[in-house]
Amino acid sequence: MSIDASLWPYLLVILAGFLPTEVWRSLAVVFARRLDEDSEALILVRAIATALLAAVVARLVLLPPGELIGIPLSIRIGAVVGGLAVYYLARRSVFFGILFGELVIIAAAWYLG
Amino acid sequence: MSDSAAPPPLLKEEPPGGTGRWFARGCYAAVTSVQGLVLFASMIGFGGLCRDIGFPVGAAVLSSLLIWALPAQVLVVGGYAAGNAAPVIALAVALSSVRLFPMTAALMPYLRGPKIGIGKQLIAAHFIAVTAWIEGMRRLPGIPAEWRLPFFLGLGTTFVLGAALMTFIGFLLAGTLPRSLAIGLLFLTPISFLIQLTHNARDLVDRLALGFGLIVAPFMAEVGGRLDLLWTGLIGGFAAWGVHRFLKARNTHVD
Repeated sequence: MSIDASLWPYLLVILAGFLPTEVWRSLAVVFARRLDEDSEALILVRAIATALLAAVVARLVLLPPGELIGIPLSIRIGAVVGGLAVYYLARRSVFFGILFGELVIIAAAWYLG
Repeated sequence: MSDSAAPPPLLKEEPPGGTGRWFARGCYAAVTSVQGLVLFASMIGFGGLCRDIGFPVGAAVLSSLLIWALPAQVLVVGGYAAGNAAPVIALAVALSSVRLFPMTAALMPYLRGPKIGIGKQLIAAHFIAVTAWIEGMRRLPGIPAEWRLPFFLGLGTTFVLGAALMTFIGFLLAGTLPRSLAIGLLFLTPISFLIQLTHNARDLVDRLALGFGLIVAPFMAEVGGRLDLLWTGLIGGFAAWGVHRFLKARNTHVD
């Protein structure tokens, strides 16, 4: 039982990373063969996917990774709300919305750092 | 009555290089999309994270190519750093990647066709992660059905190869970025997901799902345990769909 230690990260990527993600994609391909492009079931599946991604966003803002947690929660939420506001004010510009949210966080990190 | 000089019917002949041209259009769409820009910047941050943790650069790049889902990649690298056992990491990755199931199921109907076998569908499905899903859901419905697959493969290949390259560059750059900028890269994922999802949510059911998801998520984080994301998706998704069904039924009654 001697796997070269330098190979371990590569095996980890394949066994603990690649396989458990790809299995969901593959199962979904089989499942989706029963769905029509305009069916009600597809609308439901899309709504579930959208709500799941919203949950990912909420978690990354509330419990952020790495040093982002050093930015106060109120500023993180403010950057999200401000980014959305700028997105609408700039006539639905994705670019300016993201840019504004980023600027708030970077400015806060610079000021607090 | 046959005229030998008549040109062959246009419908029967595919435009020369049609597949290649739509593949190239997919590649072009990838490098010019805001989502691509965000992805590449996020991968620079991920590369830096790998170097900080002591994860080898080759395995970091391999994770971008094979796992191709940033939250799962962070779990693998984080688990490695914490010295967790492989099955524990695999379980965490599997739970965090459940979202790929409804995402893939929602996108695949656009990519199906009589000539597209399951093998090609499985290859196309590998490219599904938030970036390609958002871009695909936005653009595929407007593309002629027969060219959707080459377009999506071009889009996905460019995203994945670009992400792998940026992981490598991020690894090399680690430690040279100002701290405030590195923190900004970490914020890129949530802010861009949210604004792109808002941008894509044209129908009421999508906007409701987004709103319900954001509202339900903090509660589920408290009580949902390790499956909190899945619960939020199911509750938010079914609630949005329920409202959609209710309004549709009421409208048909009035008419």
